Amino acid sequence: MESSLAAEQQRILASDWGGGKSPFGTSWSKFMMWIFIISDALTFAGFLIAYGFMRSISPSWPKQTEVFNMVLITFMTFILISSSATMAMAVGAARARNPKLAVRFLGLTIVGGFIFLGCQAFEWSHLIEEGARLTSNPWGVPQFAAAFFVITGFHGFHVFSGVTILAIVALRAVVGKYSGDQVENAGLYWHFVDVVWVFVFAFFYLL
Amino acid sequence: MAEQHEHSITYKTYLWTWFWLLVLTSLALGLGYAPIGERLKAMLLVCTTLAKILVIAAIFMHLRYERINLILITFAPLILAVILFSFTFPETLGTPTHLITVR
Repeated sequence: MESSLAAEQQRILASDWGGGKSPFGTSWSKFMMWIFIISDALTFAGFLIAYGFMRSISPSWPKQTEVFNMVLITFMTFILISSSATMAMAVGAARARNPKLAVRFLGLTIVGGFIFLGCQAFEWSHLIEEGARLTSNPWGVPQFAAAFFVITGFHGFHVFSGVTILAIVALRAVVGKYSGDQVENAGLYWHFVDVVWVFVFAFFYLL
Repeated sequence: MAEQHEHSITYKTYLWTWFWLLVLTSLALGLGYAPIGERLKAMLLVCTTLAKILVIAAIFMHLRYERINLILITFAPLILAVILFSFTFPETLGTPTHLITVR
């Protein structure tokens, strides 16, 4: 039995395309998280390409620097990137079997997520006060606000979900129900949220 | 399996990655305000964005320590996005049409 297991492991390790019980050389939960991230990335890709199409067929597009508070948007980007760094450190601490440090880094990441959400709520309320709605806005192109609310809203919901997941993982770590895999999977999701924002920041706010 | 390679990334590496991500963000921000053509700006922004996501994926998401088949499937959305974009963009070739009216 043991020798057949060893042979199976050898076969898996020998080739990237060998298949076997662990064809991707990773735990099932991490692989499932990757599959989820890939499917979610396709959703965001759909949103961003729809936005690109709308923008390319529109004779004009509002100048973002005149509509948005770019200092706030840059600050939000800084916060999200920093929280990604603290998340990576939380995973590092979890893998090094240091739950206290992992919880501390998770806490910092959660704080970053809340700051980001607070900034986004401020930005949304400000634009709504100025008259922006899903179907209309004061800047001329109706699709502008629609794209803004749908893309940043969907992303914001992901940040909120991420903060919830991180809080659950941190609480479980505090009570001792702790696994490095859980922290790593939550981390993968959090970094994905950061990756999506990188696209939104470049193509929605800067281009 | 993951346990075997996680420790090869140190906190120092994470801090450097964070620093370079901030540098790339500043670069993107500078491009946003740069007095250059829209197409060139779009191309340069695509480059900085790709650089940023590669750094995040490789180091923060530990993808550089994963197997090549897992690495390759993560490129699927990017490739499909390029295909989708190339289906929709030639519709206009970036030229505004009458399809959206400005109020």
